[in-house]
Amino acid sequence: MNCRDYQHQITLLLYEELAEQARPGLEAHLRECAACQGVYEAETNVHSVLSEDTAGWDIPSDLLIESRRSLADALDRVEQKRSRWRLPALSGILTPMRLLESSALVAMGLALGVYVGNQQPQVSTSAVQDNQISTIPRNGSISNLRIVSADPATGQVELAGEVSQPLRLQGQMEDATVRSLLFSALHDASNPGSRLRAVQVLASKPNDEPIEEALINALIYDDNAGVRMQALEALKQYANEQHVRAAFMHTLGNDDNAGIRVQAIEALTIKNSNDTELAKTIREVTEKDDNSFIRAKGLQFVETAK
Amino acid sequence: MKRAAQRVHESEDEKLLIEQAQSGDREAFEQLVRRHDRDILRLAFHMLGNREEAREVFQETFLKAYRSLDRFRFESSFYTWIYRIATNVSLDHLRKRQTLREEISYESDTELHPDRPALKDTLAATTYYSNPERRLYGKEVGEKIHEALKTLSEKERLVFELRHYQGLRLKMIGEIMGSTEETAKNYLFRATQKLRAYLTNV
Repeated sequence: MNCRDYQHQITLLLYEELAEQARPGLEAHLRECAACQGVYEAETNVHSVLSEDTAGWDIPSDLLIESRRSLADALDRVEQKRSRWRLPALSGILTPMRLLESSALVAMGLALGVYVGNQQPQVSTSAVQDNQISTIPRNGSISNLRIVSADPATGQVELAGEVSQPLRLQGQMEDATVRSLLFSALHDASNPGSRLRAVQVLASKPNDEPIEEALINALIYDDNAGVRMQALEALKQYANEQHVRAAFMHTLGNDDNAGIRVQAIEALTIKNSNDTELAKTIREVTEKDDNSFIRAKGLQFVETAK
Repeated sequence: MKRAAQRVHESEDEKLLIEQAQSGDREAFEQLVRRHDRDILRLAFHMLGNREEAREVFQETFLKAYRSLDRFRFESSFYTWIYRIATNVSLDHLRKRQTLREEISYESDTELHPDRPALKDTLAATTYYSNPERRLYGKEVGEKIHEALKTLSEKERLVFELRHYQGLRLKMIGEIMGSTEETAKNYLFRATQKLRAYLTNV
């Protein structure tokens, strides 16, 4: 083995990829060869510079959310294209049962169209005479419609699906229904804008324990950085409460968004600039932070609290 | 890094999800995406260096996977398979970018419009080093590393990215590249040699 081979092994050693049995040979060579020892030291130094740099390379959380959303849209488009392509192919393989199902679907569609189009409820066709269709709201929309059973002998068809209808209501925040809907909006996974607005609205009602809990949940668990930031802002009014401070501390130690972590320090220190015990805890949490600004903020608070 | 290593061991649960997705279950596919999407986005973001292209690579990778999932035969792990797609898409983007750069003469652009910032500076400004967090970390060192990484060939850059930043083992990197562990070792060695030459005084 020559020096180049050993230098190759140095790289593998630093990346923990060197076979265990090769290690003694490399160590012996490094003791004897000043040139390779120099390479080892230089490479260790560069490796540590690069490894330190790794910490700041995490992806912005909003980019992940944005990318997931645009992927979901793209998958929808692919599926739509696929379903348009598949429709004509079905016509060649229609069995009598499929024919019955198709007829029933057409009849059902016609009947629903009649209802949704604000026609008289008694309008119907023979295919749906004994159905529960009159329970469908006039302005409702139907999704996930499927055929549960279809009997070609009797012509009886059972369908199932989901009906939803537009909702609009006004009321006080104390009203149980309004509150329940606001809390639902706070958990609307598909709409971060709605969650953000729900945080803003709920935050306007002070000294309300369930709201406080909901805001803490949003701060800790919401996927969207904007929502978490808004929840943190809203919770600042409760900054003296033990469990709220615990939530801020959790955010400081765990949130992947540096901006929110900075705000968490501010929220923790805003009313406690001389608390040396708090300063100690903040120091412990921030000194492990990948972000140098957060580390500096932690140190700054420790200095101020002295 | 640990998370990356754990995923090497493909679970029965994942096998079931793949089979469901292969039979057209969109939800199963989305669950598979969720298991790997953070790693794939990180790879794309590091390789391409800007949000827009990272998002494009992310989307292209999973759309390709979705379209060709029925051809996945469990000969490798799903993790290796999806990484292979992502690295190929990333390399395609890097090549397109290189072609674009070659088509544009920076010098003539600057000479014709001396009041405008040079196009190369504008392109450089779109990288992750324009991210405020990166600036906070230490602009000087970060930029030096960025410059050093630019001296690597595509394959060297890819192997270095997968080993150093993504924490994958060289054996798996060889599989992802459709090559061997030895080849991956050689690329890593050449990459670290170049980086050492560039960064020794940092």
